[in-house]
Amino acid sequence: MTKAPSFVRFATLALALALLGVVSAQSTTALRVASTASVTTWDPSLSFSTEAVYLANIYEPLLWANAAGSTEKFTPALATSWETSADGLAWTFHLREGVKFHDGESLDADAVVRSIDRHRAIGGAAFIWAPVSDVVAVDAMTVRFDLAYPAPLDLIAASLYGAWIVSPAALDAAEADEGYFEAGIAAGTGPYTLAEYQPDAEVVLSAFADYWGGWAEPGHFQNVVVSIVSDQVLQEQMLLAGEVDLALSLPPTSYASISADARYAVQTVVTPFNYVGFLNTVRAPLDDVRVRQAISYAVPYDDIIAVGAEGLGTQGRGPVPQGIYPWSEEVPQYHQDLDKARQLLAEAGHEGGGFTLRLTYAAENAIERAFAPVLADALGEIGIQVEIEPLLFNQQWAIAKADPVEAQDIFLLLYWPTYSDAGSDNLWSMFHSSDVPFFNLSYWRNSVFDDLVDRAIELTGTDRATAQALYVDAMTLLVDDAAGLYFLDAGAWYAIPTYLSGFEYNINYPFATFFYPIRLAN
Amino acid sequence: MAEPDPVDLLKFITRRLALSILVLVGVATIVFALTRIIPSDPAALYLGPRARPAEIADIQKRFGFDRPLVEQYGQYLRGLARGDLGNSLATKRPVTQELGSRIAATLELMFAAMLLAVGIGVPLGVVSTRLRGSLGEAVVRVTSVIGVSLPAFWLGLLLQLLFVHVLGWFPSAGRVDAGLRFVAPITNITGLNLLDTLVTGNLTAFRDALAHIVLPAVTLAAYPIGLVTRMTRAAMLEVLSQDYIRTARAYGVAERRVLGRFALRNAIGPTLTVIGLTMAFMLTGTFYVEVIYAWPGLGSFTVRSFLNVDYPAILGMTLFGAAGYVLVNLLVDASQALLDPRVRVA
Repeated sequence: MTKAPSFVRFATLALALALLGVVSAQSTTALRVASTASVTTWDPSLSFSTEAVYLANIYEPLLWANAAGSTEKFTPALATSWETSADGLAWTFHLREGVKFHDGESLDADAVVRSIDRHRAIGGAAFIWAPVSDVVAVDAMTVRFDLAYPAPLDLIAASLYGAWIVSPAALDAAEADEGYFEAGIAAGTGPYTLAEYQPDAEVVLSAFADYWGGWAEPGHFQNVVVSIVSDQVLQEQMLLAGEVDLALSLPPTSYASISADARYAVQTVVTPFNYVGFLNTVRAPLDDVRVRQAISYAVPYDDIIAVGAEGLGTQGRGPVPQGIYPWSEEVPQYHQDLDKARQLLAEAGHEGGGFTLRLTYAAENAIERAFAPVLADALGEIGIQVEIEPLLFNQQWAIAKADPVEAQDIFLLLYWPTYSDAGSDNLWSMFHSSDVPFFNLSYWRNSVFDDLVDRAIELTGTDRATAQALYVDAMTLLVDDAAGLYFLDAGAWYAIPTYLSGFEYNINYPFATFFYPIRLAN
Repeated sequence: MAEPDPVDLLKFITRRLALSILVLVGVATIVFALTRIIPSDPAALYLGPRARPAEIADIQKRFGFDRPLVEQYGQYLRGLARGDLGNSLATKRPVTQELGSRIAATLELMFAAMLLAVGIGVPLGVVSTRLRGSLGEAVVRVTSVIGVSLPAFWLGLLLQLLFVHVLGWFPSAGRVDAGLRFVAPITNITGLNLLDTLVTGNLTAFRDALAHIVLPAVTLAAYPIGLVTRMTRAAMLEVLSQDYIRTARAYGVAERRVLGRFALRNAIGPTLTVIGLTMAFMLTGTFYVEVIYAWPGLGSFTVRSFLNVDYPAILGMTLFGAAGYVLVNLLVDASQALLDPRVRVA
């Protein structure tokens, strides 16, 4: 008998071994997750990106903001109670007793003061603390924030960025070595510590035995292994094949098929992500409000939601996303009315359109990629030609910031607030006048809007009802002047295997998934 | 054949080495210029879109992005001479560290693909010569043409659809199962999971790593398999027409022995050259394959770097790829020079 060549025998044996099956188990040993979230930094002060998924399980702020509609606006985290002075210029937080950091240090007022001071000094989101003039340790377990002007410090202290409380020992080490955290140091009080990190591949979190919340209740996961997978379709395959227990970013196109799969409970949620289009107001013909209004009337909002987001979203009411303060149903919306659009164009001296606009969008954004042609087609209906220019976001951004006169006509942008106050963030950042545009890529200037927003920001900490009314006036003015197009407040969906319980989405923390509450259902 | 003169050989290699360094400096210059022509601000990229102008200005000063381009280029070359490729704008870590942490994954994938290319391509090439004029030969030829023609990204998706989604035979992504470390942790010796698990006798992990590498390796190997098959076949056909083969057959040497011992040994030279150069090709092939299978290697890092317009990472990876290509070419040329004096004269 002749023998097969040795390499054939080896390959056959190896393949046979492989086909015997791979490791997989449903136990509390490890929760396996697929996420798109890569890590740009492990420094809790510098963090201002997608690593928040992990940091939100490693670190804790003073408060957690609850989702809209909750009975209580906040859940105590490292502060158990707090109060503000009558003038809103002093906020006092009383800290939780008996809390340990991952490195064994104890939580006290000094740790809070030093953490916040560091965030204010070097933080990626340092600006959120702009109203704070001083942070003072009143006693060992009490901290007072002195403000230069009233501000909603409860919302700021509950921010996903720039508000983590960090171990004093780690802060000492980071003072000596600015790259200290980048080695993968976890120095928070959260339920999980960072056990392992492979860049762009995997993050492993392990339960912190001394977590103040305890591990007594059954079903908690002792480890969380997050595979960093940038492709949504691949995440879906991993979920369906049982390679992961949770996929945090599934393709919208699979919503119907997975919803019909009995193995999963599907949750649809409102997110703080909204899609806007900045209209370049410093250059003809978009410097004419009637042309901008005409475009606003030509936008096929329903089609954009259907095509771009597979129906997962609602039409925006200005640049403040639904579910986030100061969103209001009183803010008007445009609805597609092509006759009205043509009439406005004619009034502006552009009967039948006859001009071309340059639209840029982030090529890596699938939703923008899907709806940009829909928008272009609709504008074509009123005689406006649109040259669509997909660019990498960084390039799109650089062009828009260089010279407004030479920049794009329409800039599509996905935006979300840094913390749960879209007044001081979205409205101010995106449309407040500024000499050098920050996010105001309409280059719009309106002193009445500026005044309304500035006053509302100062009142948010002390008189939120009046602030809300001012914001509504500002947003109404903004929509009337059509400085931007407000396409949609995006929705999202999650498929949770029926063997898991406790998964909850919180609109205030769109980049965070909290693993501690997730348990094996049985 | 005359023995090679060591002095001539040394001169040849020195000349090629000097040329190689020039090539690398040229690549560095072109890529540096190209990355700076793109309209974007490295300081703004480093800080992200929400950075304030003052913060951007601070970073520009700190990293020297505000200095003249020629000065920046000089600074980059000085760093390069020290082996410092700068820091990634996206991850903030040294590019050398980023490349170092990913290279084992890519090498493992490339080795596995090469093993398939040689293990399948060479026998197919040999067999097809034996089956000349038959249906079997036609099948081999068509298969090799398909292998050479199929785009890797399309083949990868197709294999994934069939073997993961429909049949459920293989896992879809990554190097090992996410839960493996709690069941059979891999002891890292070389970073090559298959080798490390075999050396340590960790068969559970070996099986898992093998299952994960099959589809990416097949995808990456498709083109080299086709190429090696065709090259082996062509070289074999030429050798098989030689007199000494006819003589061997006339002496009644078994056909298996004629093909394997006499023909293949003389035909394998050109195939080996192709295999060497294919290794360099594979590095760019990993760009698609690693993204499709979420394989945490250099390819996926490079793609991410391009998407982030991460200058230092793009430069670092381009130089790394160019150095690999130059090195392989140098080795191939040196070995040819060693074997054939005419190459040294040329």
